[in-house]
Amino acid sequence: MPSSTASGRWFDGRSAAPHDVTLRLGDRLEITGPGVHRDWNLDDLRAREAQAPLLRLGIAGDPGQVEVVDATFAAILAIRCPDLRKRADTAGGTWRLVVGSLAAGVAILLAVALGLPVAAGLLAPLVPDGVEARLGAAVEGQVLDLMGDPPACADPAGRAVLDRLVARLVSGRGLPSDLAVTVRRHNTANALTLPGARVVVLSELIAKARSADEFAGVLAHELGHVALRDPTRALIQASGTSFLLSLVLGDLTGSTVIVALGQAALSAGYSRDAERAADAYSVATMQAAGGDAAALATMLERIAKDDAETDPDFLRTHPFTRERAATIRAQAGAAASGRRILSEAEWAQLRRICPGAPDKPAPKLRPGRGRRV
Amino acid sequence: MPRTGEIAFDPRLRGLTGLAVVGFLLSLVTFGIYRFWYMTDLRRFFWSRTVVDGSPAEYTGTGRELFLGFLVALALLIVIYVGLFGLAITVPALAPYSAILSFVLLFLVGQFAIYRGRRYRAMRTLWRGIRLGQDGSGLVYAARAALWWTLTLATLGLAYPFMRASLERYRIGHTRVGTSRMASDARGRSLVGPWLLFYAVAFGPVLAVLLALLAANDFTLPTDLILPKPGGKAGDLILNPAYRGSRVATLAIALGVTAGCCLPLALLLVPLYRAREAKVFMNAASLNAASLGPVRLVSTLRARQFYWPYLVYALSLLGFVAVVGLIALLAGLAARAAGGNGFAWAAALGGGLLYLGGALAFAVLHVRIVQARLWAAVATTTDIADADGLNRILAATHGPGSGLNEGLADALDVGGALQIGF
Repeated sequence: MPSSTASGRWFDGRSAAPHDVTLRLGDRLEITGPGVHRDWNLDDLRAREAQAPLLRLGIAGDPGQVEVVDATFAAILAIRCPDLRKRADTAGGTWRLVVGSLAAGVAILLAVALGLPVAAGLLAPLVPDGVEARLGAAVEGQVLDLMGDPPACADPAGRAVLDRLVARLVSGRGLPSDLAVTVRRHNTANALTLPGARVVVLSELIAKARSADEFAGVLAHELGHVALRDPTRALIQASGTSFLLSLVLGDLTGSTVIVALGQAALSAGYSRDAERAADAYSVATMQAAGGDAAALATMLERIAKDDAETDPDFLRTHPFTRERAATIRAQAGAAASGRRILSEAEWAQLRRICPGAPDKPAPKLRPGRGRRV
Repeated sequence: MPRTGEIAFDPRLRGLTGLAVVGFLLSLVTFGIYRFWYMTDLRRFFWSRTVVDGSPAEYTGTGRELFLGFLVALALLIVIYVGLFGLAITVPALAPYSAILSFVLLFLVGQFAIYRGRRYRAMRTLWRGIRLGQDGSGLVYAARAALWWTLTLATLGLAYPFMRASLERYRIGHTRVGTSRMASDARGRSLVGPWLLFYAVAFGPVLAVLLALLAANDFTLPTDLILPKPGGKAGDLILNPAYRGSRVATLAIALGVTAGCCLPLALLLVPLYRAREAKVFMNAASLNAASLGPVRLVSTLRARQFYWPYLVYALSLLGFVAVVGLIALLAGLAARAAGGNGFAWAAALGGGLLYLGGALAFAVLHVRIVQARLWAAVATTTDIADADGLNRILAATHGPGSGLNEGLADALDVGGALQIGF
């Protein structure tokens, strides 16, 4: 085999001083110079990354390396050493990496879609009452902030009727003792249930209700969410989702977990199962309290109809509303429609709980679909 | 006469575009996980093409190390987030301050991460087989950065160049090349000039017009100049009609226009300041090789070398948009000739191309033009006075160190793939 020679600079790895050497390429690579003698196997030889025509050669385990600037020598060496440019760190790893990270991404998405609801359901009952109460206070502050701080409605006579109504609905139901139902002036027909047994009724809901039973049905539905701990569960699920998705998207800068609590409470709806369970709870509660359990269905349909006019997005969930209404009516039975939970006089007082409402054009709320009463 | 060594950087950048395109696309399909390997490839490219006194630098970090470091950092961040959350819940009095608290904490962690990331890059850098290193403490660095930032905020930014110089002295002073330690005598006052230029451009004309306005109004503030718009929404303002046509009104409008122009204009000074800073820092850096006196760096960097990459980048992006627009226009005309809805076709094609190609073009051109040219500008304008002193550098016995140092910086998004100067 013909041999090829070149001159280069040897660095021994102990000092930065260069040593002039001669490289002789035969069956092996011989490097010789004053005080330097190496005889390297061509199979072990590796070129470290450098801009051609500079070539940087070394072998594993030897701290020394040699620099050669000789295009012809480099070309011959490339033919003789098949593994010259082989890299230890990425050998065949790119595809494995792509497949692996895709699998990891899909796994995380599956965990978000399937695992989190289960985990949240298991975790929610474990949250201590004290923590949940504080959480509720924090979330309520943020939610009210997002809604533009709607003023509380506290007309004494109306408030007294509401308190009596709540007392009737919760009697013997084992709800948390710190249950707090407040009414706030807002032009969205909705009621929110927040962690820590906090129910916020918006005044437009009372305005839209045509009977006390319709309103009471919605209230009992929200109490169902309280009893089933849905707000805490939704909060855990929403926080977990935003965290896991930020993992997938590679953006962990946002302290999303903390900041987005209020947003999550507003936007994240409950699952359909949770809504059905709250509906069933409402029917049972209204029956026990002696009200018209089917009125909730009427109220749901009316809100859905109004929403469909302003919010095309809502149409998609319309079949679900119809299905819910039918289920509620079936559960309530035919005898339900004759009952009245409040006298007309009491209902009239309750309707006046927000004096002068509604007058303030507050920003229109767009709660999640499931969140709707 | 000591021999002057030079730092060279190959300006042809052969292979970089392919690297960037593949790296960007793979990062896209792997939910960003490939970015650690992409970053590693970029560093290997830039390091190996930076030739110091004839010998190229070598980057020996791996994507796997960066990824593992990221995972460890993630675990740490989860603990921090959960801790902050728990604190806000258990101590309700702190809840209103939790945003500030988390900002301060994450700032400190971020500075710590920047220092540790630099340590990782130093430990993975070799030159002539000699490993670089960085000692010092990330905690000390974070504390210094926090104090300096507080001072900078308190002095309305005037302390900024002094902060930059102080932190640079700490970083460089704890950088080692083999057994030799680097040193920096960077002084903040050498940067005060270009720094004050920001104030002059941003606030000078505004101040001048404001003074003229006051002079025109007999040195009393015309408090009734701006009135709420009658019948308008809250926040709607109009100029008081009583002043219409007066010099005061003209000057008030001029004041608004000046403020609107000068602040963006001041942003154009950023490359100037950065170039001056890089030059000052380079000239201040030296390496104490053995006992024979320091090897100094000499920089001849010009500000225009920092402006040029940004200009080319901006023009490239404009060119990209123009080409997409042209393609959309031609497609629209062709569709119209064929009897279709030309506008819809043009909009769909143009929008699609802009969206799909835009991200790729932005990313690749940024690496190719901005990062590479800035890097080249700093490298090629730097010379080594007394290059023979470099031959006295001896390897240290320390190993490559932990590979987990840089993950935190990535998780917090404070570490760029390539940091000029290192």
